[in-house]
Amino acid sequence: MCVGLSAKVVKLDKGMALIDTQGVQRQVSAQLLTDLEPGDYVMVHAGIAIAKIQSSDTEEAHTVLTALTNKDN
Amino acid sequence: MQSTVLLAHGGGGAQTRDLIAQVFQNHLANPEFTQDDAAILKLGQEHIAFSTDGFIVQPYFFPGGDIGKLSICGTVNDLSCMGAQPKWLTCAFVLEEGLPLKDLDTIVASMAATAKEVGVNIVAGDTKVASKGQVDRIFITTSGIGQIITPNPPAGSLAQNNDAIIVTGDIGRHGAAILLAREQFGLEAEITSDCAPLWHLVRKLYAAQIDIHVIRDATRGGVGTVLYEIAAQSNVGIHIQQKAIPIEPQVQGICRILGLDPLYLACEGRLVLFVPQDKAQDTVELLQKEAHGQNAAIIGYVDAKQKAGTVVVETEIGAVTVLPQPTGELLPRIC
Amino acid sequence: MFNDTELAHTTIEDARTIITTYTGKPLRIMEVCGTHTHEIFRLGIRQLLPPKITLISGPGCPVCVTPVSYIDQALWLGLEQRAIICTFGDLIRVPGTTMSLGDARKEGLELRLVYSPLDAIQIAKENPTREVVFLSIGFETTVPGECLAVQEAKAEGLANFSLLLANKTMPEAYLALKNSADAFLFPGHVCAITGTQDCRALTKLGISGVVAGFTAQELMTALAAILILSRQDKPFFMNCYPRVVADCGNVAAQKLIQSILAPCDSEWRGLGVIPKSGLKLREEFQDFDAQRRFHIPHLESHANAACRCGDVLQGKCLPKDCKVFGKACTPTHPIGACMVSSEGTCAAYYQYGGM
Repeated sequence: MCVGLSAKVVKLDKGMALIDTQGVQRQVSAQLLTDLEPGDYVMVHAGIAIAKIQSSDTEEAHTVLTALTNKDN
Repeated sequence: MQSTVLLAHGGGGAQTRDLIAQVFQNHLANPEFTQDDAAILKLGQEHIAFSTDGFIVQPYFFPGGDIGKLSICGTVNDLSCMGAQPKWLTCAFVLEEGLPLKDLDTIVASMAATAKEVGVNIVAGDTKVASKGQVDRIFITTSGIGQIITPNPPAGSLAQNNDAIIVTGDIGRHGAAILLAREQFGLEAEITSDCAPLWHLVRKLYAAQIDIHVIRDATRGGVGTVLYEIAAQSNVGIHIQQKAIPIEPQVQGICRILGLDPLYLACEGRLVLFVPQDKAQDTVELLQKEAHGQNAAIIGYVDAKQKAGTVVVETEIGAVTVLPQPTGELLPRIC
Repeated sequence: MFNDTELAHTTIEDARTIITTYTGKPLRIMEVCGTHTHEIFRLGIRQLLPPKITLISGPGCPVCVTPVSYIDQALWLGLEQRAIICTFGDLIRVPGTTMSLGDARKEGLELRLVYSPLDAIQIAKENPTREVVFLSIGFETTVPGECLAVQEAKAEGLANFSLLLANKTMPEAYLALKNSADAFLFPGHVCAITGTQDCRALTKLGISGVVAGFTAQELMTALAAILILSRQDKPFFMNCYPRVVADCGNVAAQKLIQSILAPCDSEWRGLGVIPKSGLKLREEFQDFDAQRRFHIPHLESHANAACRCGDVLQGKCLPKDCKVFGKACTPTHPIGACMVSSEGTCAAYYQYGGM
């Protein structure tokens, strides 16, 4: 249902963020996130930044799998 | 059959094929009517290729080209796909009242430059002017005659098991450039169209004695549509590797944002080649030395293990799954 | 970002081993989100599953659950009221009673595809003499953007902009689908807005699931997590997408939604009316409600009776069990909404050859 786009914040101005993904840029609304800074990564859906991304999917998958297998053993 | 013509009929996919079969083939079928990009005809002792193509594009100027360049590349590439050296072109213009003459001049100059690059002459033309609103500014149709330079011309039906499948460059740039030029989705990127005449690539491969089974230019519908066409015409299965497909990062970015598959974005300067496996590496190396061939890559092979008519993809997790076919208009998938 | 190809490869391999060597009890896992369905098919994850695991595609494609009557209303606004209709892409192919929005273009419907609800605001500003209606569909993830559009329209006093609402919310749907699966892949981007409380609380009702992201690694990891957690014989919950989903969700978005919208009953195509599963504009934003603004009359809407999208959406039958699937109903001529979007279950089954 909800195609998300992970993108890097390039610039912030008046509630809007210029984001970049693989060299493609777009203005999106940053009104729903606080404490954003250029260089942060955000998840964008339909032109709105909905969440700040905390780590890579690799790190996350690794952490989740480690937690599970440790619990398991 | 639908009661009216829909945009999807022009998409180059299944609905385009239906329209051709139900209307055009239905009335026009004859022994020389072709399913390929150009008809091969015998004239005395000579074999010639004969092709025609109509061009509409909005906007008519775009990064990397314009409708004039496009109209020459389209017919030149269609002839090249038959192993034919483009010899003569004709062009017909339908112009809308009010079109700036300056723009027309730029477009025709660009046609001349592209024709010169290929070494082909435009030998006849026609002009019609339509009143405002009857057409969208400028439509161009070009036709061309080429001389077949190989005793074994390629054809869409000649793909053989284990053939390597090669694309002559990174894919989808024309489609992405046009999407950007329309300024519809607020996206900014520096993507230029891949629009280019490709006769020199084909000539080079024949000069090196490469036995090419199939050449097809990936235009509307993109490389994915070509693969399905060849799978059907040659009655073979096709296996491609996701990771092997050359795609420029910015094109990938556009596709991620809009939920599109780059395999179905239009190209206007990319060939898909089927060559014997043992010639694949040589072919790629030859192509990479040429303009418009630097990013050539082997993307897959004809796979006897797959059902005839199907195209499968080896995905990034190593699973093998069917490549979904497009269903008419390319629509962004957002929510 | 943070590219680590080697570790990525290892985690995928680890997850794959957990999935392919699964020997526990048979499990039905429902991916609720259409984007999950799409990615699972695209990546070929189904091909890796042992026979004991069944993946069921749930009702999380907004295009798929939008009822016929909604399309008819949008057609009426565009054709009878000559409003400019702004929408996300896929919706234009969904059949209404007589035609789809895409078909209606040849009848003169002015249709604009947009990337964001905020783009529709721009279109309204550029066309001050025309009515501009945004087709507001989507779940919790999409709703905040639609609220931002309303907020901006109100702040700027835009008098020619309105929304035709058919938004849906997930919590009630989980309950309605309770018996359709043993565990859910919860939709990551919905949870990015709502937080995890709703899903976590479902364990008390015996409903298990994990929050999943959308990349190959995230989906494989989430499936592996379900398989491991299923070994304990009690309902479980885990957030497998913490890099995007905070437990509290996006509080600013939640507040925004609450200030503009209120829950209402909502019709889901195939599932019927689910109480409190929709959203309506609060009293002070009524000017932006296309329903009220245009006094849309009652329209006689009919879905094709042969279509079994409703059963498919609940996992009660597979697409191939529907009589029209792959025959009268194909992606080029869809009869039911599930055949329209590439996120739709029927379209996915058709495209991927029933796999």
